[in-house]
Amino acid sequence: MAEKIYSEIPMRTWRWLGVNEARGEETVDLPSQDVRVAAGEVRELTVAYRQEGQSSLRARVEAGGMLKLTTVQLVPGSGFFGGDIEIYLAEGARLEASAVEAGAGQSISRMRVYLQGDGAQASVYVLYFGDGDRRLDMNYIMVQEGKNTEAKLYVHGALLGQADKIFRGTLDFRRGAKGSRGYEKEQAVVLSGKVRNRSVPLMLSAEEAVEGHHAVSIGKIDDSKLFYLMSRGLDLTEARRLVVEAAFNPVLDRIEAEELRQELQTYIKERLADA
Amino acid sequence: MENKEKTFVEDIERTLYDIRNEERAAYKSRQGLTEQVVRDISSRKDDPEWMLERRLEALAVYDTLALPSWGPDLSSLNMEEIVAYVKPDAKMAGRWEDVPEDIRATFDRLGIPEAEETSLAGVGAQYDSEVVYHSIQESLVRQGVIYTDMETALREHEQLVREHFMKLVPPKDHKFAALHGAVWSGGSFVYVPEGVQVEIPLQSYFRLNAPGAGQFEHTLIILEKNSSLHFIEGCSAPKYNVTNLHAGCVELFVGEGARLRYSTIENWSRNMMNLNTKRALVEKDGLIEWVSGSFGSRVSMLYPCSILHGENARCEFTGVTFASKGQNLDTGASVIHAAHYTSANISTRTISKAGGQAVYRSAVKVTPHAHHIKCSVNCESLMLDDISRSDTLPVMDIQGDEAAVGHEATIGRISEEAVFYLMCRGISEDEARAMIVRGFVEPIAKELPLEYAVEMNNLINIELEGTMG
Repeated sequence: MAEKIYSEIPMRTWRWLGVNEARGEETVDLPSQDVRVAAGEVRELTVAYRQEGQSSLRARVEAGGMLKLTTVQLVPGSGFFGGDIEIYLAEGARLEASAVEAGAGQSISRMRVYLQGDGAQASVYVLYFGDGDRRLDMNYIMVQEGKNTEAKLYVHGALLGQADKIFRGTLDFRRGAKGSRGYEKEQAVVLSGKVRNRSVPLMLSAEEAVEGHHAVSIGKIDDSKLFYLMSRGLDLTEARRLVVEAAFNPVLDRIEAEELRQELQTYIKERLADA
Repeated sequence: MENKEKTFVEDIERTLYDIRNEERAAYKSRQGLTEQVVRDISSRKDDPEWMLERRLEALAVYDTLALPSWGPDLSSLNMEEIVAYVKPDAKMAGRWEDVPEDIRATFDRLGIPEAEETSLAGVGAQYDSEVVYHSIQESLVRQGVIYTDMETALREHEQLVREHFMKLVPPKDHKFAALHGAVWSGGSFVYVPEGVQVEIPLQSYFRLNAPGAGQFEHTLIILEKNSSLHFIEGCSAPKYNVTNLHAGCVELFVGEGARLRYSTIENWSRNMMNLNTKRALVEKDGLIEWVSGSFGSRVSMLYPCSILHGENARCEFTGVTFASKGQNLDTGASVIHAAHYTSANISTRTISKAGGQAVYRSAVKVTPHAHHIKCSVNCESLMLDDISRSDTLPVMDIQGDEAAVGHEATIGRISEEAVFYLMCRGISEDEARAMIVRGFVEPIAKELPLEYAVEMNNLINIELEGTMG
């Protein structure tokens, strides 16, 4: 199949870094979803992707509405998965999203959240887990257009084996978004010397009266944490597993579907043990 | 409701820089870039044969490369209109008295001869495409330090130049590196022998007077083992209503245990396209310190790159960018960790106002197998109104698991809490805001030589009326 560009960075940079666009082979389209959350309504939506292909989800949350969205990508094997989520938030609308990227040989995911209405709020928690020779490409974009909006993008990841990951996270303050705040934080734990880890935290601003902050921290597991756990009788593998699980808890704890959460915990535990 | 006026943060005062001299060139190449123009420049400079070959190779590369697909819009740059080589009507002199009156007066106004007397160990002054003055203290010459213009270096230290010239920035790097390789002229050459500490800074000043011209100076600095140097670079031009182009190239070789501080205050006029390339190769235990102030130009693309090649090599980058009306200043830094135990610390401040666009762009790359890497990147942006733009675009590309890399960036306006705090202590609102802006750039100002720190404070002159909010 022919290669195509699934998503692009909002602002291009040096080509040699290989982060300007996400390329993958064309694939089959999975059924798309279109969701509308009425004014004042609270809607919970959980989607587990377990099949190769390209999926799209579009949601519009009307004034004062709230969407609790959980997406979990657990496509088995070495196949391809492309995910595209687009969410529009009206005045006072809220989004609480948890996104897990843990399966497929190659995954390309994009989430765009448009905080259009005044006072819209979005909290997006992302968990990525790459092992083997998995390739993960993520592009999360928070566009803040309304006044007094608040966007939070918190990302926790672990990489092992020969995983190759790109995470792009953008806070885009548009002109007129006065009083808006945006926060982005990515914490990546690297568990193998053969990993390639690319992080691109963008912050774009055409408005002065905003507060934006982004931070990235990349490193191996803190030796003092391992030492503490091992001095209490755990072997190295168990200690590493515990530290990684603890790092993932802020995301996993937000998944309300008990079965899905347990499935993920087991999946990650097994993968860590295999590594 | 009280109608508050916004504080007017004065644009950079440019009167000093905008005084134009009558154009009095001994020779100007034809507009545009052709093989004949390149051969002509080479012939007039009496290049050795290998340099002509390199120029022609670079020209061939230039013709194959496209403009960058990222960054500021460069479509208004028409190479067919740029004059690549302007030889001033002056020979290189070792005494200011021997420099033609109008050119000397220009450098006098910029304070270069005065600085030479009080705080510099050597000075180079380039006017359009050629260096018109060069000096170095005798004590440094006795220690084997070489500080001269590139053309003299090419004649008198040909082998050294040949080994290093465009080795860090090959013409294939990008279109403007190729352009530079084809038409370079002027610039400074510094060689510091092993163990020699150059305690007092050297300074090269680049002045572009001719309208519609390009300046393509080449700076090559070689520091041998355990030596040290502080090199200062300044640049300015009067404003014209045609586009001028600056595509200089800086190559810095920092030997084992050597320390180089490279300070730049760039204050080109607002008709300038500043597409400069700077790169340093740092060997074991070496240190490169960049101090970079970007205030001028209509468009800038400037990202000094440090290649940490030897174990325990270090990089410190400190930069400030101030983008005002009509300016698109795309600046930043890049670091390549290519050896174990290397570390880097990048700290920048950007200010944008009156419709200016400031972009901070960086790349941190850790090559496979390099272990015990530490890198910290910090970028703070201040916006002074809602018609300007401020963007940050850092990329981290880390291979392996033995690197600790942290990045942090903030964007915002002047904190009302901080203003309130200062006002509670008897400081007026205007002064409080002015203090905060000065405080914002203070980490950079303190790294600058004193006279430049004073200049920068003058540049950021806050008029005490109204409020900024």
